[in-house]
Amino acid sequence: MTKPDQSEGDRSRDELLAGEYVLGVLSLADRARVEARLSRDKSFARIVARWQENLADFNDDYEDVVPPAKAFSKIEARLFPKNSFAMELAAAGSWWNSLLLWRGLAFASLALLITYASLQSGWIGSLSPSQPLVARLTGDEGTTIGLLARYDAGNGQLRLTPVAAKVAEQRSLQLWLVPGGGNPAISLGVVPQTGDGTVEIPAAVRPRLKDGVTFAVSVEPLGGSPTGQPTGPVVASGLAKNI
Amino acid sequence: MATDADIAVLIGKVALRDRAALSALYSAIAPKLFSVCLRILKDRSDAEDALQEVFVKIWQRADRFAATGISPIGWLVAVARNHSIDVLRARKPVSDSIEESFDIADSAPGPEAETVMKGEGKRIDRCMEELESDRAMAVRSAYVEGLSYQELAERHGVPLNTMRTWLRRSLMKLKECLDR
Repeated sequence: MTKPDQSEGDRSRDELLAGEYVLGVLSLADRARVEARLSRDKSFARIVARWQENLADFNDDYEDVVPPAKAFSKIEARLFPKNSFAMELAAAGSWWNSLLLWRGLAFASLALLITYASLQSGWIGSLSPSQPLVARLTGDEGTTIGLLARYDAGNGQLRLTPVAAKVAEQRSLQLWLVPGGGNPAISLGVVPQTGDGTVEIPAAVRPRLKDGVTFAVSVEPLGGSPTGQPTGPVVASGLAKNI
Repeated sequence: MATDADIAVLIGKVALRDRAALSALYSAIAPKLFSVCLRILKDRSDAEDALQEVFVKIWQRADRFAATGISPIGWLVAVARNHSIDVLRARKPVSDSIEESFDIADSAPGPEAETVMKGEGKRIDRCMEELESDRAMAVRSAYVEGLSYQELAERHGVPLNTMRTWLRRSLMKLKECLDR
């Protein structure tokens, strides 16, 4: 690393390191160190993501080159050895099964209280023409959080209002879509720690948010699950319903 | 030509283990990603191996795409660039440059206000114009071809340390310009 201007401090060093990483000039060992940090330091990950976005215009320099004809069949052979599709499905279902198991055993006392809020009940302040999806996510009285999830299909925003948010410090709440059918949970984002949290639902996931899906919230390391799947206890879940 | 939105949908389906979506994603983006591998590795056979690894990674990591906040094509190109650069650096090592004392410590938890990333659009072009042309060229070829500081220094006929200074100052100037 270069000697940073002391007055600019760590932020400036991080900017430079992130820029060098995205540019690609670092050594293999330094790249590995940066990647290890990326997985646990979300604000650094944001700086890297910003450089990626900023330098992405250079991607125009990569003009299409058709790969060899048999390349894709080799990829399929790597990913899907014969007769393994059933195994794939079984593996995909294991999280769901373990969630049920987890709920059944460890959180036997967690009463899942699902309330469908309606426009008339006063939960939602104003009428929306786009028929928002609403779910109230709650645990029992020992649980420290309750959330009201309201999804607006019009702008793809899912608005989470903590009814009572009080979790141990240095942990994040992560919102998941549980598609059912044995499919793995899809991260919808990390719930902001304080205040009225709005989660921007990724465009790719938006079509999946519809009547009857299940939302779940798990407690994860600060910044969100390191694996892309829930790693901590599921503290609340609820069905979403058109109102 | 598939749009960003089409690609995003395909990545979402791949995250759900949809093999047909993987095939469609391959048709849409493999020529671009093969080009990335080829430009960086400069060998067709190596690039084909890299392309395989890249699609294996896409299959394995598709569920993480949503968390990155970058554009879907940008994410796919980043997977291909990162893999190809790793292969290149493993093949031809360069010296480490992160100071031991720096120890890339985690930054303090900051406000969550930056969760939604602002698109910078085409401002990078304008900012690149503010750099001296040889430095802008060095920045661009570092990115596009995955050149190391040493290779850039040789190409531009300047000492290694000069090239380090060039690129780092250029990065800071770009950052400053993009923040304006």
